[in-house]
Amino acid sequence: MGDTLHLITVYSKTTAKAWFQYRVDAFLRSLAVFLREATGIIVIYFTLLKFDTLSGWNIYEMLFLFSLLFLTYGIMIIFFTGLRDFGKTVRDGSFDRFMLRPRGLLFQILFANADWFAAIGHGGLGITLFILSAGKVGIKWSGANICYYLITVAGGVLIQGAVFLFIATLNIYLLQTDSLKEMLYWDMRKFAGYPISIFNKFIQTLMIYVMPFAFVNYFPAQYFLRKEDMAAYPEVYIYLTPVVGIAMYILAYLFWRYSIRFYKSSGN
Amino acid sequence: MRLGAYFAYAKKTFLGKSAYRFDHLMGILSTVLQFFIFYEIYRALYGTGKSVDGITMSMVTTNFVLSLGLSTIFSPNDYFLPGRIWDGSISTELLRPMSFKGRMIAENVGESFFNLLFKFIPVLLIAIFTTGMEKPAGAQNMVLFVVSSILGYGVLFTISFLVQMTAFWLINIWSLITIKDVLVNVLSGKMIPLWFMPVWMIGVLKFTPFASIYFTPVEIYLGQLSGRETLIKCLVQIVWIVIIFLIGNVLWNKGQKKLVVQGG
Repeated sequence: MGDTLHLITVYSKTTAKAWFQYRVDAFLRSLAVFLREATGIIVIYFTLLKFDTLSGWNIYEMLFLFSLLFLTYGIMIIFFTGLRDFGKTVRDGSFDRFMLRPRGLLFQILFANADWFAAIGHGGLGITLFILSAGKVGIKWSGANICYYLITVAGGVLIQGAVFLFIATLNIYLLQTDSLKEMLYWDMRKFAGYPISIFNKFIQTLMIYVMPFAFVNYFPAQYFLRKEDMAAYPEVYIYLTPVVGIAMYILAYLFWRYSIRFYKSSGN
Repeated sequence: MRLGAYFAYAKKTFLGKSAYRFDHLMGILSTVLQFFIFYEIYRALYGTGKSVDGITMSMVTTNFVLSLGLSTIFSPNDYFLPGRIWDGSISTELLRPMSFKGRMIAENVGESFFNLLFKFIPVLLIAIFTTGMEKPAGAQNMVLFVVSSILGYGVLFTISFLVQMTAFWLINIWSLITIKDVLVNVLSGKMIPLWFMPVWMIGVLKFTPFASIYFTPVEIYLGQLSGRETLIKCLVQIVWIVIIFLIGNVLWNKGQKKLVVQGG
């Protein structure tokens, strides 16, 4: 255990050093990610200056909803960058090297790389939005609420990590999964910044049961905000985020364990 | 005869694009999804209301169809020069007996024609049959819309040209390109119709080229401008093209003297 922790520390140090090799560039890149991700929020900010509320949600409530999405992604990418880029690892053959080392494969993939620009860009945006909105949406930060918040964020991280693990596993069967990931993860994520109640039933079903972004931010935000549109969904969904996260991660992990036996190197 | 060579480059890019059918379908899907999200947001915002500040839901729809549609055509390759500086191939490219800038334009035009036929037109057809977008205000508006769109493309292309020139000094300009994209996305009307921008923001926008890219063609299409205003706004587009190109060209001339090639 101590040995594993030591290894994690060493990995974190080397990846941080590699990513921050060029400091000015690193700063600019983090800023660029931050701004790129903030685009949708800037747009909704201007829009709500004119329209006041979207389906009953005011600007601060919207910022709070967005903040959960970015915060969970920022934390997730520290751990799961290796899975995001797993397709490349398989194609260029460096996965074969991992197999020769005396450590778990998934352990190496998870800790051997971390996209710090994305982590700072997304995570920084999540924290900024939280600071801007948390005091203005009438949340009482009691012990129970803080616990709910932390557990829910962890659940949201696991949900997205499970999706990355699932898509990475598909690389063992298919050599190219970029477009699939684009559609399954990124395109669906575009819907996630907004209250899902504004979309039609089909999209809502996708967001709750297929690619459950609703549990990453919409239902957790409802725990705190209790907006009227929650009436359309079972009350219990508000508490399910950690359960969904753990269940999805276990399933994705089992799929990984099962599939890894069929791994064939892509050659030299 | 020399034009023939540029035409060959344009054609080569056009044909090269045709090879990636799956990526292509994904691109269309992504645009349609983006439109759909904005559409649903504005449907929720409008609720039962008919119009906001004289702007109806169908005008908003038209703005999104046209600007997102045009943005599928307007995709200048921001890495044309930076990519060649990065891998050093710029040094041999500059020795060729044809203008590098000319080639840059030729390849972008080739790609844009491909996008016009296989992205814009499908997206537009989908939109005509599934959304309540408005018809052009008149035949004259349709013609001027096309003219103004071409000028809008020119504005976006020269912005890209200018940003690319900084690669002579900065080498890796991914961050700058990304920030440029953010500015274009927010300020051009592609993600929020500029009618709804706060008054102070509209004041600021007058001093930037962004509204000239998509919003001017949209206004012309909807017949919101008088003949005189149309003329002025098209002239503004031309002025921006000239100004940005000239600044870019100064950097281009200085950059070539400064050029550092990594390795070789």
